[in-house]
Amino acid sequence: MIDRRRFLTTSALAATALAVPGLLTRAHAAGEALKIGIPVPISGAFAANGKFATMGALMAAEEVAAAHGVQASTLDLDTEGKPATAVRKVQDAMAQDGVKLFAGGILSSESLAMGKEIERGGGAFMTTAGADEITGVDCNKATFRWSVPTYGAINETVRPIIDALPDAKKWYTITPQYVFGDGLLNAAKDVFAEKGIEHVGNSYHSLTDKEFSGYLTNAIAAQPDVLLLLNFGAQSSDTLRQAVSFGLKQRMTIVVAWASGLEQFEALGPDICEGVYFGAQYWHGADTALNRELVAKVQEKHGSNPNYSFAGSYICAKLLLEAAVKAGSPEGAGVAAALRGLKYEGLTGAEEIRAADHQVIKDYYLLKGKAKADMANKDDYAEIISSGKSFLSPEDAGCAMPA
Amino acid sequence: MNPLDKPFAQLALVLVTVLALPLFLKSGILATEILIFAMVVAACNLLLGYTGLLSFGQGIFFGIGTYVAGIFLTRWSVPVPLVLAGAAILGAATATLVGWLSIRRQGVYFVMLTLAFSQLFYFMAYTFSGVTGGDNGLLGVPRPAIGGNALDGPWSYYTYVAVCFVVIFALLVMVTQSTFGRTLLAIRENEGRAAAIGFPTKLFKIEAFAISGAVTALGGALHAMLIGVAPLSNIEYHTSELILIMTIIGGSSSLFGSVLGAGFYLLLADALSTIWPRWLLLLGLVLVAVALFLQGGLWGLVVRGYDLIFRRDRAPNTSAEEH
Amino acid sequence: MIYLFQVLNGIGLGMLYFLLAVGLSVVFGLLQFVNFAHGAFYLLGAYLTYDLTTRGFSFWLAMPMATLIVACIAAVIEALLLHRIYKLPHTFHILVTVGLALVIQEMVIIAWGPLGGSVPAPDGLQGVVIWGDFIYPQYRLFTIGLTAVLAGLLWWLLEGTRLGAIVRGGSESPSNMALLGYNTLRINTAVFGFGAGLAGLAGALAAPIRGVEPFMGIEALSVAFVVVVIGGMGSYTGALVAGLLVGVVQSVMTTLWPEGARLMIYIGMALVIALMPRGLLGRA
Repeated sequence: MIDRRRFLTTSALAATALAVPGLLTRAHAAGEALKIGIPVPISGAFAANGKFATMGALMAAEEVAAAHGVQASTLDLDTEGKPATAVRKVQDAMAQDGVKLFAGGILSSESLAMGKEIERGGGAFMTTAGADEITGVDCNKATFRWSVPTYGAINETVRPIIDALPDAKKWYTITPQYVFGDGLLNAAKDVFAEKGIEHVGNSYHSLTDKEFSGYLTNAIAAQPDVLLLLNFGAQSSDTLRQAVSFGLKQRMTIVVAWASGLEQFEALGPDICEGVYFGAQYWHGADTALNRELVAKVQEKHGSNPNYSFAGSYICAKLLLEAAVKAGSPEGAGVAAALRGLKYEGLTGAEEIRAADHQVIKDYYLLKGKAKADMANKDDYAEIISSGKSFLSPEDAGCAMPA
Repeated sequence: MNPLDKPFAQLALVLVTVLALPLFLKSGILATEILIFAMVVAACNLLLGYTGLLSFGQGIFFGIGTYVAGIFLTRWSVPVPLVLAGAAILGAATATLVGWLSIRRQGVYFVMLTLAFSQLFYFMAYTFSGVTGGDNGLLGVPRPAIGGNALDGPWSYYTYVAVCFVVIFALLVMVTQSTFGRTLLAIRENEGRAAAIGFPTKLFKIEAFAISGAVTALGGALHAMLIGVAPLSNIEYHTSELILIMTIIGGSSSLFGSVLGAGFYLLLADALSTIWPRWLLLLGLVLVAVALFLQGGLWGLVVRGYDLIFRRDRAPNTSAEEH
Repeated sequence: MIYLFQVLNGIGLGMLYFLLAVGLSVVFGLLQFVNFAHGAFYLLGAYLTYDLTTRGFSFWLAMPMATLIVACIAAVIEALLLHRIYKLPHTFHILVTVGLALVIQEMVIIAWGPLGGSVPAPDGLQGVVIWGDFIYPQYRLFTIGLTAVLAGLLWWLLEGTRLGAIVRGGSESPSNMALLGYNTLRINTAVFGFGAGLAGLAGALAAPIRGVEPFMGIEALSVAFVVVVIGGMGSYTGALVAGLLVGVVQSVMTTLWPEGARLMIYIGMALVIALMPRGLLGRA
């Protein structure tokens, strides 16, 4: 029991040692190694995200170790997609292994619970989960979020499409019934009202639904110009797949506001994605300096392109580790201070960590699926139509940061 | 009867477990989780082993306890002992209802009915998110405090849970040793005969459900305080399945078997999950192996080992659990 | 008007649910065996279809092949493992089949990765049919037709043939069957393989509709349980009626009160068990 965790960190250490043999002794003298916990669902229904997230974090740790001459290692924590397990593993990592830095938490429920726990334990946490509360009403000193919340996701997908398709006046929405879904839906309704769009109907579904033909039948009956899907992950794939089989692509424009990125395109295949609009937090084709660098590195190491789970975890781990190097310690207060207000060149271009609510201000992308014949390579599923930054002010987001 | 099955032996084993866990485990949180589940699994065993009721609905009561702690501690800061009592009462009430409806059917239909209820309660918790927090759960559930000091350290909270656990376990042992408990066993062996003698068998079954539900909900409340959140996943059907699997692995012929079942499962899951991302495959193989080769559960193994060492002269007493 | 569409759509869903559940029901009727691995066979059927079609096989070949492979795998598992535990209490059925379902699910992830994929509808069935405002994919229409034919075949097999009589006889009195000289062990293996094969076929047929992903078996299992319990365990007609009922209720509820769709189905299930202990059409 005692040594099982250490065993896992060896690979990262070994890689570091190979990369910077000369610096290793100095790092030892300088102090203890930096350890970052990666609490992600490695088993269970979100296993795919967890797998890539651990790879991305490992790459970040190796990079920071090489760049700053410190030891940095990752500690994978399988949350099984359950908040209870996530919290227990985080508590353990803090108490047993002295880990203070955490990057991960793909599901909102996990991230909200872990954020509280990490704050209590004096650590720092950066996540890519979607729930608005993370940097809204439940914001806290220790928690940072890289991904754009629902407001920005809707504004950067719905607005450009309304502008591009002036004749599309009737929109129908399909929404998962819980806080995140409602966040997207309310943001969409605001945009509809402002732009004079008729919202011809909405179907709520539960988080366990896999069969969407009934909801699609509702949507068809409402005869919209645009079908806006507000669910995510496997559910949005299921909805889209079934919508395409109902021939809706020929009858209306389909928009997936919160797509998971490359992993979702791979699961769906180009035939289904062609002509469909997708909102995305990250796309490997984005033309920024850091992203080009990352894509080249991942190509070299893994022979594939980074997807959202990989890239999100990479940037979160990298920001935390670099902040710890700068602060001289992984203690939460110092790391948080180093992160607050930080401006840097990120994967989506210029990014900034807003001090008031710990939300990263970054671009959200609107993608459009390409036809199979137009794809330059096997991952070239989509082109970037537009990108931009839309955020509520910290006050409107509901964050009252504890002093 | 094997000497290990005697009530004092069971209590002694529990005390040894509670004292030994801190020596062998580095993680106080894992140790606390083991005790909480040991309590909950023992309550499931009261139904399975002592009454012959295979309940797939234990997650309902666990979830209710979780939500009672979540709601009363985050919204109104009710004192913790009151919250625990409230969880136990509401758990007992719900279990009475579920039990009353479910015991009308027997065998697989009983199992399926409890399964249907566990789905029903999950979807209720999911739908009424104003109360339960829905998928996000209820955040910021505080730990209890003693003398003004919150039990934030893992081992201080472990001590708190350990005291609750020992008390509850002793109560459960007393229940099984009472006339009531012996009647439950009689019902399990032959319900018709027990009814013919004049026992109100249905009432006894419902009472068993109520006790089980109270203890399970208490465990749920302690769990919410352990992890600081009342998550939706605690009331999921998977929690019911988990509790049941731990009960079967531990062996249903003794209450202490449940402690073994919970400890074995949680330690195994914790160890396997750090070795291999696909650890659930190994877990599946373990479940199959237990069903094939260890039908008395871990407790059966312990008893067999004990007999081998101390009671070679006597006939072995390790018949597999039947009902 | 929309309700009519939803009823039609519900019938389509219900036929798939019937196919998914009938195998579970038959296995339960004959073997008194609670099979929590039924969803895993559905998963396996879907993934084999996915694998074979991506290797270039036509869907028309992939579907029966996947069904057959699943049936064979299930028969082997039965012969090696499951027949040892029929006589044990249900607790051990649950333990073994939950374990088995985990093993199959994780092996699927190892073999095909955690991401999932799409299976295109076969050529000629990729379009939609349109009646006024009602749109329906040709492929879904085809699955309704196919399952209807299969339902007829199954009915004939179970009610009208010697084999069916043996199966039913075995479920009522295994010892009598043994006395009559039938090899119940072999019959059990065949029936279990057959039931799993039906789940595999349901998976194969669902693949072009739902795509494949490693956790699709869990949802399928819960649907199958609901249908079997409402219809009555071991009852063929019950599975058909309950499958259609669940499909139609689910579909109509998506218009009526989508938030409560699931809630309604489980309330309905609890009511049926409470009021009609054997399910709607279960054998007494």
